[in-house]
Amino acid sequence: MKLFEELLKKESEYFTRRHFLRQGSLGLGVAALASLMGCKNPLSQSSVTRYTGSAHNLVPKAKRIIFLHMAGAPSQLDLFDYKPLLHQLDGKECPQSLLEGKRFAFITGVPEMLGPQFSFNQYGQSGSWVSELLPHFTEVVDDVLFMKSLHTEEFNHAPAQLFMHTGSPRLGRPSFGSWVNYGLGSENENLPGFVVMVSGQSAPSGGKSLWGSGFLPSIHQGVEFRSKGDPVLFVSNPDGVPRNVRRAVTDAINQINETAYQEVGDPEILTRMAQYEMAFKMQMSVPQATDIGDEPDYIHQLYGTEPGKVSFANNCLLARRLAERGVRFIQLYHRGWDSHGSNDFENLHGGFKTRCTEIDQAMTALVKDLKQRGMLEDTLVVWGGEFGRTPMQENRQGKTNPFKGRDHHGNAFTMWMTGAGVKTGISYGETDEIGYDGISGKIHIHDLQATLLHQLGLNHEKLTYQFQGRDFRLTDVHGKVVKEILT
Amino acid sequence: MNFPCHRGVLILAVIAVIKFSSCSNSGDTIDFNTQVRPILNKNCMSCHGGVRQNGGLSFLFPEMAVDTLDSGNFAIVPGSTKKSVLIDRIQQQDPELRMPPEGPGLTEEEIGILADWIKQGARWDNHWAYKPPDPGIQAPELEHSELSNPIDRFVADKLNKEGLAPSTKADKATLLRRVSFDLVGLPPSKEMADEFLADNSSQAYERVVDKLLASPHYGERWAAFWLDLARYADSQGYQKDNLRPTMWLYRDWVINAFNQDMPFDQFTIEQLAGDLLVNPTEDQLLATAFHRNTMNNDEGGTDDEEFRVAAVLDRVNTTFEVWQGTTMGCVQCHTHPYDPIKHEEYYKVYAFFNNTQDSDKTSDVPNAMLLSTPQRDLKARYEQEIKKFRASGDTVNNTYQEALKKYFSIKPLKVPVMKEMPADSSRMSHVFVRGNWLVHGDEVQPSVPEALSQPLSENPSNRLELAQWLVDPQNPLTARVMVNRLWEQMFGRGLVETLEDFGSQGSMPVYPGLLDWMAIQFIHQHQWKFKPLLKQIVLSETYQQSSSVSPELLELDPYNRFLARGPRVRLSAEQIRDQALAVSGLLNQRVYGPSVMPLQPEGVWNVIRHVERWETPKDPENQNRRALYTFWRRVSPYPSMMTFDATSREFCVSRRIRTNTPLQAFVTLNDPVFFNATKVLAVNMHRVSDNLEKQIEYGFKQTLYRRPTESELQSLTALFGKTLNVYQQQPLQVTEITNGVDIRTPEMAAIINLAAVILNLNETITKG
Repeated sequence: MKLFEELLKKESEYFTRRHFLRQGSLGLGVAALASLMGCKNPLSQSSVTRYTGSAHNLVPKAKRIIFLHMAGAPSQLDLFDYKPLLHQLDGKECPQSLLEGKRFAFITGVPEMLGPQFSFNQYGQSGSWVSELLPHFTEVVDDVLFMKSLHTEEFNHAPAQLFMHTGSPRLGRPSFGSWVNYGLGSENENLPGFVVMVSGQSAPSGGKSLWGSGFLPSIHQGVEFRSKGDPVLFVSNPDGVPRNVRRAVTDAINQINETAYQEVGDPEILTRMAQYEMAFKMQMSVPQATDIGDEPDYIHQLYGTEPGKVSFANNCLLARRLAERGVRFIQLYHRGWDSHGSNDFENLHGGFKTRCTEIDQAMTALVKDLKQRGMLEDTLVVWGGEFGRTPMQENRQGKTNPFKGRDHHGNAFTMWMTGAGVKTGISYGETDEIGYDGISGKIHIHDLQATLLHQLGLNHEKLTYQFQGRDFRLTDVHGKVVKEILT
Repeated sequence: MNFPCHRGVLILAVIAVIKFSSCSNSGDTIDFNTQVRPILNKNCMSCHGGVRQNGGLSFLFPEMAVDTLDSGNFAIVPGSTKKSVLIDRIQQQDPELRMPPEGPGLTEEEIGILADWIKQGARWDNHWAYKPPDPGIQAPELEHSELSNPIDRFVADKLNKEGLAPSTKADKATLLRRVSFDLVGLPPSKEMADEFLADNSSQAYERVVDKLLASPHYGERWAAFWLDLARYADSQGYQKDNLRPTMWLYRDWVINAFNQDMPFDQFTIEQLAGDLLVNPTEDQLLATAFHRNTMNNDEGGTDDEEFRVAAVLDRVNTTFEVWQGTTMGCVQCHTHPYDPIKHEEYYKVYAFFNNTQDSDKTSDVPNAMLLSTPQRDLKARYEQEIKKFRASGDTVNNTYQEALKKYFSIKPLKVPVMKEMPADSSRMSHVFVRGNWLVHGDEVQPSVPEALSQPLSENPSNRLELAQWLVDPQNPLTARVMVNRLWEQMFGRGLVETLEDFGSQGSMPVYPGLLDWMAIQFIHQHQWKFKPLLKQIVLSETYQQSSSVSPELLELDPYNRFLARGPRVRLSAEQIRDQALAVSGLLNQRVYGPSVMPLQPEGVWNVIRHVERWETPKDPENQNRRALYTFWRRVSPYPSMMTFDATSREFCVSRRIRTNTPLQAFVTLNDPVFFNATKVLAVNMHRVSDNLEKQIEYGFKQTLYRRPTESELQSLTALFGKTLNVYQQQPLQVTEITNGVDIRTPEMAAIINLAAVILNLNETITKG
């Protein structure tokens, strides 16, 4: 350990000197160096690995984000955005005015309207509408903010998910979590700053690009914590290499490297030594962070977790543990929400209903648990899909689908959010009588991104990275902070 | 920019009465490119450039800058600072009027430069990279110098001026490793190393260079470089990311082209427009798969036309990034903010690519049934053999039967290629208003941007002519951009650091003369061939310098821009893997062939929908092929290579940004591929001797081509003692670590850990 501390000190001295000489006022200081999961050596990467501009001109309310993405897009009309009129319209032909000039993913010809498929009631002081599919969640409605009028231009899964998580529907842009780590660096030197966990049926359509770093340095990409095998790829020693042997191996590597540094003077060697030391530490901290077996029974009962199982509940509990340890961006994907009504699982009474059961208790527990620990003060929790669903029953080639289901719909959908300076117990934004379009309080995806960055203390217009000759942002050239939903 | 008079000047508030700075020495001619343009780009262009023309003013095009403003005044009146509103506005004290409106304003000196420039007639000059290099350019003549390689004369001249001295020559072992990785992407073979290290003649190094350039592995190394630009992958991208199981034929084409040292003009024409040549050969058709590496979106409900258009846009951006170092992406939505390229000019280039038949179909049509060159060669060889046997009547012979079988096993495969629409159904091209493909503006005809076409008279009118235009010896950018890429591959940093941007926002070359001289050599002397140019580079003394750096030099030149020392760069993702396999003797050296699926942890592909499986072949031969043959699936590329900064190949990437992370240590210490190589190296160490010192020496020589130093020996001997002790007490760990190894002793277990150290040294994963 001593060697490591010496190294850090030496490196700090070195870079502090550099810092004044070359990096300007917000260069790579000692703090950034100590956060080894952030970026390291300005000599090898110039100043590009870590944001050094003037985007942090705001007082941060949030230190971290837990983003629960429901991949496949759940129906807002069957969970939160209750439209009694749809009961009356159920089975009637959709008026032409809704169809003209509109592109759908699958609907062709004239579909029929589809009423809410589940019963709704109002809950809490706020009187929030929630359907019967989320009984647990009704207990925390006063602790969250509903945004009823989100909208997006994208109506296919992969582009819409990419849009939500990278600000662009095309592949190749940096993801939200990598922007945040680029902008803020890591809070924990023993864990990655951006962790991704996946559960549920089939894959999120956008694939690993959803947590890629695009053109940002790869150090900012999301690290997937896997549910089976090593939580982080290759974190475990090979069989037959006990920890004390690995300690000795790491020491020998670093001893020889240090001599080499004395001889050739390349500061990159110091960085590599620090990274080997860090890797050794991560081999302890990652399994510790991911072992939920040490949680008390009441926590398991609260979340509905079973150690060893691959589940959204386990991932919610892991999210809290990682948040406690200072991970900046914790991204959960729960997959399999697509409900077109095209077969006996992709429909509202099939897969959709099952998904609700899988998430209800766990996401409720996450809100309760963070609240009881005082962590909601500086943790943002965001829940939602990549778009919403149509008030129409889906049809294809003029034939109504065999099961109850809705097509993709980007005009209006619901997300909820809580924590870190977000107003709670209210519903922001409204949709029309059938939930087709937003009529007030509309929030575009870029607005949501701008607002979340704002809560982290980052100005979305200034958090930029130059690539192919232009400055790129998470919010492209759009987005405005939705002040109305902030305290 | 480096104006001598800037040194030590602090930013001063603009003072009321400007005395034009003595620094700008009224009378000296102001140079637009180095003195004026940077001031305009930094302070003015964001509001008065390509995107916005506030007040009716743009500094992007000279005719607009001297035109009447909305106010009726003139920003610039050549010859008169009084009539030029610009000068008034930048000196204003009233913050409402002062330009630029934000920040501290221009310095006294900057104002002086602009004023002198206007007085001298406000002459615009073309951006340096748009002016063709001088064909007569010569390296500087130096007094008291015997440097024969012009590269060294350029460098020595600059170093003299900067007061720097070159470094001494790298030691032979280091140099051998460096040049071998640079030319063939692999560590040198044992025979080559033995021969070179023992050969003290002055020709020894050149002989090694010639051998490396002639090696079939040369093509593999440079293909790995080109495939990032070609965004080559074995899948279509997006949600379904369907496989493209035959694209490897294109990779073979690239390897073969490099091995044949195909001239770059031909290399360009065949890839961009091989299909439009008269009676194209199979190889020329195969080459056009270059632009079929664009992505397809097969998600249910997507609009094929939307993604066909996205692919065409990508072809425009890729072509101009690869050959022109020009960032066309900006111009997709509006006129370029900094470079004189207009919005509609983007769509004129788009028109070159908008008439191919591909249209985002799952089947990747149009395809052609093709063999790659190596396959054809192989087939021809079997044919010869078969004929021989037939002539001799010996057809029951086993070898004959075998040849017959192999001959018929080589079948043409369906490969996506470029194919032009028939003339009667060709598409019209339009400007997309604000880049929105659904909103069509004016119709446009194919044409290249005016700013880039000035030195060339003929305007190309189709894809073939565009390719020919790119490699016209008069084209100012192509050769510069390419030699700069080669330089970056060798030195870790381009002479122009922004490989992808030679525009006015890109970096200026530190050695403009050297860049131009190499470009001219490349075109005329070497007739666009890579090998002689690379040879010239690696034979330079500049390249052969030691990469050690003193604290003083590091302080002065942290990025080695002046080249007072040799290159020192971490090996690429591919090279790190290949090295581990090569030094342990596991590497399968076979060149060419289909993509392979080496060991990859279970479940990595589970994030992808649909049925495709990662199936590692049982035979170790196919597990241990060079990294460039690894199956490259865009939404889930091979994890250990991604950890070392490989790209997902969704788009053309000119530069991989090198990172240094703990996850890299996990790969080289724990990834089964690496750990297996470690074990094999350990077995070989154990085999050479019973003596620990000899064993360690073998490991070092095998990996670093040198003996360990005293202190290295000490560290490893101590480690051996420590770990041996652990393993003697824990026989179960011995059983586990020696799994798959014949010798299952505590000593063997300890040696495996020694081998791990050697393969993880900074020196090992660095080209020093």
